[in-house]
Amino acid sequence: MAVVIRADGKEKVTGTGRYAADLTLTGLLHARFKFAEIGHARIRRLDTSKAKALAGVFAVITQADVPDVRYGLFVKDRTLFAKDVVRWEGEVVAAVAALTPEIARRAVELIEVDYEPLPVVTDLEAALEAGVQLVHEGWADYAIDERVLRDGNQASLSSLVKGDADAAMARAAVVVKSRYVADGSSGVPIEPRAIVAEWHGDKVQIWSSTQVPFAARTLVAETLKLPENAIRVSVPFMGGGFGAKCEGHFEPQTAALARAAKRPVKLVFSRREEFLAPDHRREGMIIELETGADKDGTVVARRGRLLTENGAYSNDAPLIAQMALHFLAGPYKVPNINITAQCVYTNTQPSGSIRAPGAPTAAWALEQHLDELSAALGMDPVAFRRKNLLADGDEGPTRQIMDSTHALATLDKAAELIGYGRPLPEGEAIGIACGWWPSFPMSSGIYLKLNADGSPTIITGAQECGTGAVMTLPILAGEVLGLPPEAFSIIYQDTETGPWDGGAGGSQTLFNNGRATIAAAEEIKSQLLKMAEDLLEASRADLELVDGKVQVKGSPSRFVTIASLASTATGDQQLLASGVGVVPPTPASDASGCIGRLGVESFAAPTFGTHAVHVKVDRETGVVRILGVAAVQDSGTIVNQTGAMGQVTGGVVMGIGQALSEGIQVASDARVRNPYLLDYKLQTAADVPPIKVGFIGIAAPDAGPKGSKGLGEPPCIPTPGAIANAIALATGARVRQLPATPHRVWSAVQQETKR
Amino acid sequence: MKYTATLRVNDIAYPVEIEPGRTLLSVIRDDLGLTGTKEGCDDSECGACMVLLDGRPVNSCSYLALQADGRAITTIEGLATDGELHPIQRAMLEAGGVQCGFCTPGMIISATALIARTPRPTDDEIRAGIAGNLCRCTGYQPIVAAISAAAADMAGKQSSAR
Repeated sequence: MAVVIRADGKEKVTGTGRYAADLTLTGLLHARFKFAEIGHARIRRLDTSKAKALAGVFAVITQADVPDVRYGLFVKDRTLFAKDVVRWEGEVVAAVAALTPEIARRAVELIEVDYEPLPVVTDLEAALEAGVQLVHEGWADYAIDERVLRDGNQASLSSLVKGDADAAMARAAVVVKSRYVADGSSGVPIEPRAIVAEWHGDKVQIWSSTQVPFAARTLVAETLKLPENAIRVSVPFMGGGFGAKCEGHFEPQTAALARAAKRPVKLVFSRREEFLAPDHRREGMIIELETGADKDGTVVARRGRLLTENGAYSNDAPLIAQMALHFLAGPYKVPNINITAQCVYTNTQPSGSIRAPGAPTAAWALEQHLDELSAALGMDPVAFRRKNLLADGDEGPTRQIMDSTHALATLDKAAELIGYGRPLPEGEAIGIACGWWPSFPMSSGIYLKLNADGSPTIITGAQECGTGAVMTLPILAGEVLGLPPEAFSIIYQDTETGPWDGGAGGSQTLFNNGRATIAAAEEIKSQLLKMAEDLLEASRADLELVDGKVQVKGSPSRFVTIASLASTATGDQQLLASGVGVVPPTPASDASGCIGRLGVESFAAPTFGTHAVHVKVDRETGVVRILGVAAVQDSGTIVNQTGAMGQVTGGVVMGIGQALSEGIQVASDARVRNPYLLDYKLQTAADVPPIKVGFIGIAAPDAGPKGSKGLGEPPCIPTPGAIANAIALATGARVRQLPATPHRVWSAVQQETKR
Repeated sequence: MKYTATLRVNDIAYPVEIEPGRTLLSVIRDDLGLTGTKEGCDDSECGACMVLLDGRPVNSCSYLALQADGRAITTIEGLATDGELHPIQRAMLEAGGVQCGFCTPGMIISATALIARTPRPTDDEIRAGIAGNLCRCTGYQPIVAAISAAAADMAGKQSSAR
């Protein structure tokens, strides 16, 4: 496969590409938020008069200055600014616009808030006890999605029920029970978010480093009570999101501030703010699992209980909790299942999608649990998985019939790439883990036009967050039109020019927007062939598009260039198309035994992966060194090899971070102790080894373009579980907390030694 | 109180008048308009703000602008010459070392300094050389490959020029 240089690449390597924080405008003011800086409290007094009086301050706004609207994806439980009560330290209380960032900072310090502290809720189990402090005392009055089952601090309750787990468990020859506790973690895009807002009469232009410009627009419309066509959200270059920049965030507050100040306003987050304030972080979990198997290793039943951390306000966390049930079933044959998931309010940062939300943490627990089960059965972990992994014709957790399922192939290939089974020195081991992830079929569209010189332009609403998904669209269109990918220009990530798009989330961009691109390219091809038929005196069945020409098959000397067709297409014709394509179906399933069904019941075009990780553990210090990784993904056809490789190596390293060094540390006062990169450790180039990557590469039915499936998120899923299993095999001690920091590894080794 | 100084960035002399507390990063970005150098943490932890100071890589977020008075500063904007990409820039594109691009300028600056002091670095030397630059997208592997390829390319050009 030829190397395709991404269309945005030259600007990125030369430093000329503009990100949101790089923008400036005439009259630009600088915004800064006043955050709660306390875990839970009633606001007794909020006085902004001194801040407003400071020279150089143009506006200070609070909830009193914006429409009284509560919003939220499933539960409408929050307002743009704190109203009466603050429920986590990162809650926005007020916003300032001033001439300089320094004046804005001083103005924020002059805002006076008197708090009456309230007890904080941080423990997921204690939060559900009777008589405990409620995070939302008025929870019963909030508007909700009627599928959400709430009760006090329980933000949602969902279950995955199949067959009769109790009866099957009672008959099982071997039963293993385990409990795991995972810290939350952060998306940590290297670009802290930035938003610029400027009003033009009744319309507002917003530049935002968001993954989802259309969702951001919807939030501005809902909260500021504006029609969507009064709001334009454009995304300059975007410095990574990893889910942290999904959903609308601070666009409404910034727009409201600019309106109040009557000047354009720019908000740029510090790293600390980027850690604390977004309502998206990977949720902490408590996971209890029980699995029964026959003597030959066949799994017969699973029971379990999952508690996930909703945080102070409910975003998409209830859906993630429901989806996590599927990840606790895993890509395995489990005939009888009964697992419940409760999403629990706490006085901490709201949880929300971070790369493959719910999956890596659930898989970390499940894959350890399965290793514990295979040990109890006296089976090799790979042999155990080989026996139980889903294959074509098997039933998924909600009785979806599996098709084009290559989980086993990923297992075998990963074992082969890592050299599974070879003798290793003392203190070293290879751990294995599997994972799965759905694709998300949804509506998506593009416009495609050929300019008068034949140069093609793609206009899409899709968002490029770095993965290269949008940059891959020209490959697909170029194949249809016989044009090189470099020939295309792309207009993207702007709500005013492109069709609606779900944005850079759910690994859906290439899956859906790629389909739309092919449909539009086919339409342009059809228009070109119609024009060429007369000129070449040949029927369209005898014509082909090659190297920028329409030519007669078998007679390449009879041709007309696309450029010359485009130059004549200015009279009564336009080489102009839109494409949507046919959204692939989601497999039939039976989830009738389940409750709290919030949207994901079967896995469309599911992706599979197995990671094998070779570790070395120092028993004296608890330090884990990753010596090698083999990561094999089944994401159907690979459309862009370089881009796909980068998704896997990046996902694995994010997984290594989650496994070993990335954990949000919440103190007893509900405040985060490590909102800095010095204390919240990302993996560096020197920490991680070379990664062997494998793809199965078989075209999937009912999938994305050319039989492709989602790939952005899946590669971070199996890594933490594989590392945890490797640590247990290397030391004989199992670390039941995530991340496995040196202290936790050392403690587990000490406890095991004492036994 | 403001002080006058001359910042020599990418071989252009910029007269500036700045408060003593201003960081080199803020002056480069806000006063000189060179926004290729990024702010990711303001804490010397991420490396997105790296520039070369007399050929040495420094985190410009933690360096006072006045300390750079009269010294040679190179930012990402100064690497391509006559419209031709620097070999490291080209290799980053060809190897897939660029995704979101936010760490890219700092990463390329670090790589430039590394190759200047170690013309043919091993992969381990490359990984140590960019350990101060965080990337969340790529897992570093394509960046290591890019720097290795660029070093080979540059060494080849140098020996053929001899």
